[in-house]
Amino acid sequence: MDKESPQISSGDVLSTCSAACPVHTDTREYVQRLSRGDYEGALDVLLEVNPFPSVCGRICHHPCESECRRRAIDEAVSLRMLKRFVVENTKEYRIARRKKPADRKAGTVAVIGSGPSGLTAALDLTLRGYRVRVYEKDSKLGGMLAHAIPRYRLPVEALAEDIEDILASGIEVKTNCRVGTDISFDELRSENEAILIAAGLSESHSLSIPGAESNGVFPGITFLWDIANAMPPEMGDRVLVVGGGNVAIDIARAAKRLGPSKVYLACLETREEMPAWKWETEEAEQEGIEVLNSWGPKAILTENNKVSGIDLKRCTSVFDDQHRFNPRYDESVTTRVEVDNVILAVGQKADLEFLTKTSVAIERGRLLCDRASMSTSERGVFACGEVMTGPGSAIQAIATGHEAARVIAHFLETGEKLKLPQRTITTIGELPAATAARAKRVDRVEVSLADPAERIRDFSPIEPGYSEAEALAESRRCLACASGAQLKFPEHCAGCLTCVRVCPFGVAQVRGTAVMPAQQCQTCGLCAAECPAAAIELSRFDTNRMKDTLRDIVKRQGTSRIARPLVVSYCCLNETTSRKFLWEQTDEEIRQSGIVRVMVPCVGRLSALDLITPFELGADKVAVIACAEKDCFYSGSEELLSRRVTRAKKFLDQIGVGQDNVQLFRTDGNAEECWPLIWEELK
Amino acid sequence: MIVADPKPFGQVKGYLENFERILIVGCGACTTVCLAGGEAEVRLLASGMRIAFGRDGQSKTILEDCVQRQCDVEFVLPVLSRVDNEKIDAVVTIACGVGVNFLADRLGKTPVFPGLNTTFYGAGMEPGLWAEMCAGCGECMTALTGGICPVARCSKHLLNGPCGGSEKGKCEVDPANIDCVWQLIYDRLKRLGRLDDLQNIIAPKDWRTAADGGVRRTIREHLYKLR
Amino acid sequence: MSDKSVMKSGSNLERVLTSGHFAVTCECGPPKGADVEHLQKKIELIRGCVDAANVTDNQTAVVRMSSIAAGAIMVRSGVEPVMQMVTRDRNRIAAQSDIFGAYALGIRNMLCLTGDHQIFGNHPMAKNVFDLDSIQLLDVVRTIRDKGTVNCGDPVEGGIRMFLGAAANPFADPFEFRVIRLAKKIRAGADFIQTQCIYDMGRFREFMKMACDMGLDGQCYILAGLTPLKSAGMAAYMNKNVSGISVPDEIINRIRGVPKGNQAEEGINILLEQIGQVREIRGVAGVHIMAIEWEERIREITERAGFLPRP
Repeated sequence: MDKESPQISSGDVLSTCSAACPVHTDTREYVQRLSRGDYEGALDVLLEVNPFPSVCGRICHHPCESECRRRAIDEAVSLRMLKRFVVENTKEYRIARRKKPADRKAGTVAVIGSGPSGLTAALDLTLRGYRVRVYEKDSKLGGMLAHAIPRYRLPVEALAEDIEDILASGIEVKTNCRVGTDISFDELRSENEAILIAAGLSESHSLSIPGAESNGVFPGITFLWDIANAMPPEMGDRVLVVGGGNVAIDIARAAKRLGPSKVYLACLETREEMPAWKWETEEAEQEGIEVLNSWGPKAILTENNKVSGIDLKRCTSVFDDQHRFNPRYDESVTTRVEVDNVILAVGQKADLEFLTKTSVAIERGRLLCDRASMSTSERGVFACGEVMTGPGSAIQAIATGHEAARVIAHFLETGEKLKLPQRTITTIGELPAATAARAKRVDRVEVSLADPAERIRDFSPIEPGYSEAEALAESRRCLACASGAQLKFPEHCAGCLTCVRVCPFGVAQVRGTAVMPAQQCQTCGLCAAECPAAAIELSRFDTNRMKDTLRDIVKRQGTSRIARPLVVSYCCLNETTSRKFLWEQTDEEIRQSGIVRVMVPCVGRLSALDLITPFELGADKVAVIACAEKDCFYSGSEELLSRRVTRAKKFLDQIGVGQDNVQLFRTDGNAEECWPLIWEELK
Repeated sequence: MIVADPKPFGQVKGYLENFERILIVGCGACTTVCLAGGEAEVRLLASGMRIAFGRDGQSKTILEDCVQRQCDVEFVLPVLSRVDNEKIDAVVTIACGVGVNFLADRLGKTPVFPGLNTTFYGAGMEPGLWAEMCAGCGECMTALTGGICPVARCSKHLLNGPCGGSEKGKCEVDPANIDCVWQLIYDRLKRLGRLDDLQNIIAPKDWRTAADGGVRRTIREHLYKLR
Repeated sequence: MSDKSVMKSGSNLERVLTSGHFAVTCECGPPKGADVEHLQKKIELIRGCVDAANVTDNQTAVVRMSSIAAGAIMVRSGVEPVMQMVTRDRNRIAAQSDIFGAYALGIRNMLCLTGDHQIFGNHPMAKNVFDLDSIQLLDVVRTIRDKGTVNCGDPVEGGIRMFLGAAANPFADPFEFRVIRLAKKIRAGADFIQTQCIYDMGRFREFMKMACDMGLDGQCYILAGLTPLKSAGMAAYMNKNVSGISVPDEIINRIRGVPKGNQAEEGINILLEQIGQVREIRGVAGVHIMAIEWEERIREITERAGFLPRP
């Protein structure tokens, strides 16, 4: 079957976070890699579907979090912050991993616009071997990211990281090159086999109300653009922004940073209806912005050809019965706000000037295109991003960029249109309440934004990133949904009910054979550890690597060259606050210390065999270092582990090894300080 | 099901001192369920053997296998071939005694050793606890005793009521762990309104249907000697 | 029992009971070996004091001289035995064979028991038999005696006469079942009953009332079992460790209340009082005094109880 995303094939049942993400980022995987200290691996996962992880780590509206199944227990995992942590801590690796396409293919593509959708498509096509040129009318690449998102949210450097990375693939860019002016559209067509229009929605809509053209009324996008380019407009002391979307909020907050004493935001919608993200509105209010809900603009008042105020009328409803935008007003209820400037953020439109006099069809100011095949009316001319979809998020634009690249590649190879298959995404669904009720609540690691008074002084970033300890702690809140226990060998299952009896979450069942519904499994691994038929496994955990390491080191070094006693130390990965013990050990380190570290995401997963096998492979001792008391994510795990250790001790006595050679420890304080003391004790 | 317990490790190891290539075979049926003889136990026992013999300076080859049921020919055939093909010189089975016999009958010159002590036909009472419920006497008489079997569950197999060792519902043989089955029968018949049944004198049991009648076989005519 | 003119065994015990006397039996445990002399001494200690003496069958599953052999020695010595036989150690073949042998050696009284579980004895590793239970054993012996056939139905060559006894424990559980079980034993052939030692007189009275209400006292002779306590330690031990026996605190405290040297004496005083009490209970046809390894006091006890001379 055709792979629809590099990480997700169509047969997969997705976790809700991945399903919610327009590019279907394998969220679980990057978070799990992060939690194991593999930040580089996490970055690989991110970059595979998203060339803008630095940007998304800052400004993504994170639909993944909105759908995070952990919400059924407490709060969503802070996925955007984790993503940000990954990119901020893998900068060198990101440069080192850059690759250029191995072989070139015939075919050139011109991409008009360098926003997230255009650059994504350009990158995909470049990596497939096509020659791609990106035409950008401005001097900077990034489209709305570069110009319309205020710096306090998206620092220049974050965007630059993504763009540099993308360009390293060998994309050619023509900046300050406005198609239609600097080069004609037809010329582009004659030079390229395919054209992708990714021009975005770069112009603000205006209002047809009296005074809308007055001095002191700014179109929103232009306003942001000017600020981004360090050319802030002259403003009075009181400003009102019209609009209730995220752009309006950005404008209001940017305006506030320019020093006016009063910034209003007036919108048609009630508070609940506002399209802006709730948290953005709240942050705006913290910064002193006054939100006026259910007001529509009636007229902009002027004095001496300068804005002096605005009349607002009561908006009684925004949408009609068909949920279409169709505002109704009560003209009798009005209010007047005295302001010096009005900024309009009432929607954007595309600048399609360059297509006039071309055969590419435009209808009522909009590019005519077919969403399923990403194509315009003209063969070989495609579209993606907001110019096609209308206003959306960066990550949605990125998703359409991928789609456009697929369609274009298909076209270049076959000369045919490709209709993208309709995707029906199967997710594992919500976490059932009964399971959630048994799960341990763990507070989300929150960072505090800078103080509002501090924030509004300039455009400095307002949100600090996670520290390493914070990121690791937060990553462990991830339930790793649907990556839990599986009956790997159904033919071995005797239906003995052991899994049912040890499952702390009441998830495991026996229906003929054992069933651990992915929807509910919390991945504690107790069933797998206790399964007498060794038929259950965790999809993401085994101790084979430890066995290989141990076997190899003993074979290579010979036991005489390794410090004795040779200790296999199983450690609860969840207790680490840094990568110190998450790095893979070198042979030399093992040889000198005699400690073979095996990091386990909850040592309760270790089976009795796991506790015994090291002795077979040459170890002298086994140390199991669990989390601090009552710290375990999984109720019941601690008791079962301690019983398993007791069992292993008895067995060791029987086989002549001696029970003292397996010991259970608890982490006291943080792993980095505690564990070395334990290892010292074992010497 | 059949319940079994692991033999002391040293005993099993003792059987194997003079063999080099040893196959440990688990059973996916009853002994898996009673946590004594499934795949996981095979691995643990095998690992233990390698460690223990290794410490004695002996490097034996310990191989592992586990079959769905050791009491049916089709399931054990692969084990038999393996013993031949891999030149195995001793087999340890952690099935019940049936498996030991079944393999021994079929393994010409290769010795078969038991890794378990087979204990009883029982039920899982709660996680980690099994209790004897049936003695396989061949003539079920529980219709007389409210469905509760005194043959299996009375320490003296008494058929006509409790001896003097029944106190507070417990059997004097091990009051902490054994219920007096006659107390259970009494209580149950009382609940069923059938206490009068207890007045009947149950005649001495005909033990021919039990093992006392010689080794037993069962035939199902509709399949037996099918060509 | 209905027809008192026809003796089932012709034993002295049967004669005493059927003629309406208050019967007295005691115990005479065989040696843990072949020490006949030791046995003879015990026999002499009780001679003339009781109507018959129980010869225990490897009691508490400790290996002793067989009750048949010891019983035969008593017969030879002129003191009447009540041969105990447990089903623990013999299947129906051995049991019937032993009964023939016992009869042939002159034994006329027999107490049919299931027997203590071997776990309590000196061979806890032994395989038990329990082919029969005590009730089935009673029925087997009665069938031989009354129908002249062994259990399988084959005819017996030459009949046997045997006075058949059984035990009853009013103090074990379930209490309500105890009388049902007594009735079953009587229906299976018990001519007389010896009870487990009685300390809880209240419960015994209740038991006897239930038995009498069922008319069981009219169907067999019930002998109340009594055991003198030698010391406070013994009282506490029996209370704690012997299943089916409860010694009321009142009795334990009473013995504990006297100096060590006088405790045995107090035990006997209590026993005499108990004898007095059971004699008053309807349906009690005699006493069975189990003076465990204390045969030397039997004479004194029976004397003081006014049982002597025996009829």
